[in-house]
Amino acid sequence: MIKIEGLTLLFDSFKITDLNIQIEEGGFHFLLGPTGSGKTLVLESIMGLRRPKKGKISIADREVQNLPPDQREISYVPQDLALFPHLRVKENILFGITARNLDLNLYEKYIDALIEVMRIGHLLERFPANLSGGEKKRVALLRALAPKPKLLLLDEPLSGLDPSIKTEIQHLLKVLHSSFRPTTLCVTHDFEEAYFLGDEITIFIDGKVEQVGEKDEVFLRPKSKKVAQFLGAKNLYRAKITRKEESSQQVILEVNGLQFFVPTSFYNDEMAVGKEVDLFIRSEEVMIIREGKPVKDSLKQNIFRGEILDIIDRGRYHTVYFQALEGKILFEISIPNYAFRNLNLSVGKRVRAALREESLWVMS
Amino acid sequence: MGFRYTMIGAALCIFIFYLGLLLSLFYFVGGKGFWDAIVNPYTLFSIRLSLIAATLATFFAILIGLPSAYALSRFDFPGKRIMDTFLEIPIIMSPMALGASFLVFFNTPLGELIQHKGIFFVFEIPGIVLAQFATIAGLATRLMKASLDEISPRYEAVARSLGSSPWQAFYRVTLPLSFKGLLASVILSWAKAMGEFGATVTVAGAMPGKTETMPVAIFTAVSSANIEKAIVLILLLVAFGLFTLYTIRFTGKRFRYD
Repeated sequence: MIKIEGLTLLFDSFKITDLNIQIEEGGFHFLLGPTGSGKTLVLESIMGLRRPKKGKISIADREVQNLPPDQREISYVPQDLALFPHLRVKENILFGITARNLDLNLYEKYIDALIEVMRIGHLLERFPANLSGGEKKRVALLRALAPKPKLLLLDEPLSGLDPSIKTEIQHLLKVLHSSFRPTTLCVTHDFEEAYFLGDEITIFIDGKVEQVGEKDEVFLRPKSKKVAQFLGAKNLYRAKITRKEESSQQVILEVNGLQFFVPTSFYNDEMAVGKEVDLFIRSEEVMIIREGKPVKDSLKQNIFRGEILDIIDRGRYHTVYFQALEGKILFEISIPNYAFRNLNLSVGKRVRAALREESLWVMS
Repeated sequence: MGFRYTMIGAALCIFIFYLGLLLSLFYFVGGKGFWDAIVNPYTLFSIRLSLIAATLATFFAILIGLPSAYALSRFDFPGKRIMDTFLEIPIIMSPMALGASFLVFFNTPLGELIQHKGIFFVFEIPGIVLAQFATIAGLATRLMKASLDEISPRYEAVARSLGSSPWQAFYRVTLPLSFKGLLASVILSWAKAMGEFGATVTVAGAMPGKTETMPVAIFTAVSSANIEKAIVLILLLVAFGLFTLYTIRFTGKRFRYD
C-alpha cells in the first residue's frame, strides 16, 4: 500500500496543498489534471528530487519522505524517457540491478519475461539513438520495472506518439500491468488514457484535488462543474429543482422551462425544492429516436422534440447540435458513424432526443 | 556580390590572414642556425618546462573546476550568480595585471607566510604553474559548465531512481555523457596554459634555464634579435595548438551518441 498524506509543495509559482493519494498494492492510479497543474512536481517530490514543505509518503508502511531517491525503491519514467544514450538497451535495462548491487541471477527469469511481454528481444544490442519512439517507450518502461520497484511513477507515458503507436503502447501497458501488477502512479492530462488504464483516478486542478474515486465514478459522476468541464463535458446547464415526486422518488429539474426527471436514489445530498444545481449530460448518452420507432418506457420521461442546427463529421463519429423546441436548450450529441447512417439526419430536420434517467447527473 | 559570397569571402580573408602570417615564418627557416636553435639546451628546457607547467596547471584547474562547474550547472545556492561572474575575471583582467596582483599578494602578511612556510612562488617554477592556473581556471570551469549544461538533469534523476547514489549517477551517467565536452575543455585549457605569457613573466620572471617557458623564451629571443630561436618556438607552439584542435575534432566524432 502506498500512502501520500498531506503533501504540500511550494515551488516558485506553484502551490500544491494537502495532497492525499492512496494506492493499493498492484493498483494503477492516475493523477489526472490539465497541463501545467504541477503533476510532474508531485511525481518529482514523491521520488525525492524535490523537498516538499510537509507531508508523509509511506511505501508498505515505511516512511520514505526523508530518504534520498536511491533508497526509496521508486522507479521513474519521465516524459522524455531519459534513456541513457551511451548505454545499449541491455545495459539500460540492467542499470537498476547493477546500481543496487542486486544478484542478476535472481532477476533473470523476471527480466526475460518482461522482455518477452514488451517484445524488445531483438533490440538488446542497440543504442537508444537507433530506436523508434515506441521502442524507446518500451525500453524505458522495462528499465524502470527491472529492479522490481515498490512504486512505479509514470509521467505522461503516452505523450508524443503517433496514434497507432500510442494504441499499441497503451495495450502493452495494460498487459504489462495485468501480468506483473506493479503498483503504479501515472500522471497525465489525457482522460481517455486514464480511463483505459487506471483503476482509480485523482482529479487534480490548480494544485488541488477535486475528486478521487474509481474511474467510472469519476467519469460518469463528476463532483463539480470544474471536474466535469475538465473531463470534456459539453452539456452542462444551471438547473432549478422545481418539484419532488415522492411516489416515484424523482425530482423535476427545469432549465429554461424544459423539464428533466431525475431519480433521487443516486444522490446523497439533499435535493431540496428551489435549490439551484448543475446538470450534466454526457454527449454520447443523448439518443436521437428514429422516426416511427416506438420509445421504451425508460426513456419516456426525458424525451424532447427539437431541431438539428448543425452536423460535424469527426471521422469516427458525428457531432450533432440539437436544439429542444421548449426552452431552446442546445444539446451536443455524439453519434457513432454506423448509428448516424441509420438515422438519416440533416440540418433543419425535426427529431426527438431522449435520455435515460441514469444519464443525467446533478452536481450541487 | 551575393550574400553568400560576401560571407564566404570574409571567412577566406581571416584564413589568408593567419595562413600568411604562418607562412612568412618559413622565410627564415633553414640553415645551421635554425638547427642550433632547436637543439639549444635552453630551448629544450623551455619546451619541457612549458609542457610540465601547463599540464600541472590544467590538472589543478580541472580538479577544482569540474566540481565547481557541476555545482554552478546543477544547484541553486546563495551567491551563485556572483560566483559565475567571477569566472570571467581572468578574461576581463589582463594577464599582466593578474600576475602583478600575485606579486602584490605575496607581499602581504598572508602571502609572505605562504612563501616562507610553504611553497615559494615568486621567480620560481611553482609561480609559473600558479600564473597559468589563475589564467585558465575560470575558462576551464566556464567550458566544463557549458558541457554539463547540455546534459539534461533528467538522466541523473532516473539514475537516482534506479538506485544510484549522487556519485554513481555522476560517474556512470553525467561524466560519460559530457565526456566529449569535458575533454575539449581540458585540451583548450591546456593549450591556453601553454601559450600563457603575461602572468607567467610577471610572477616567475624570464630566467633562461629556470623559469623561461616557450612564450617567455619567444619574447626574450625576439628582444635579443635571435630570430631562428623565436621561429622554432613559434612553430612548435603552433604545432602543439594544431595538434590539440585536431584532437578535439577527433574526440568529438568518437563520443557522439545521437
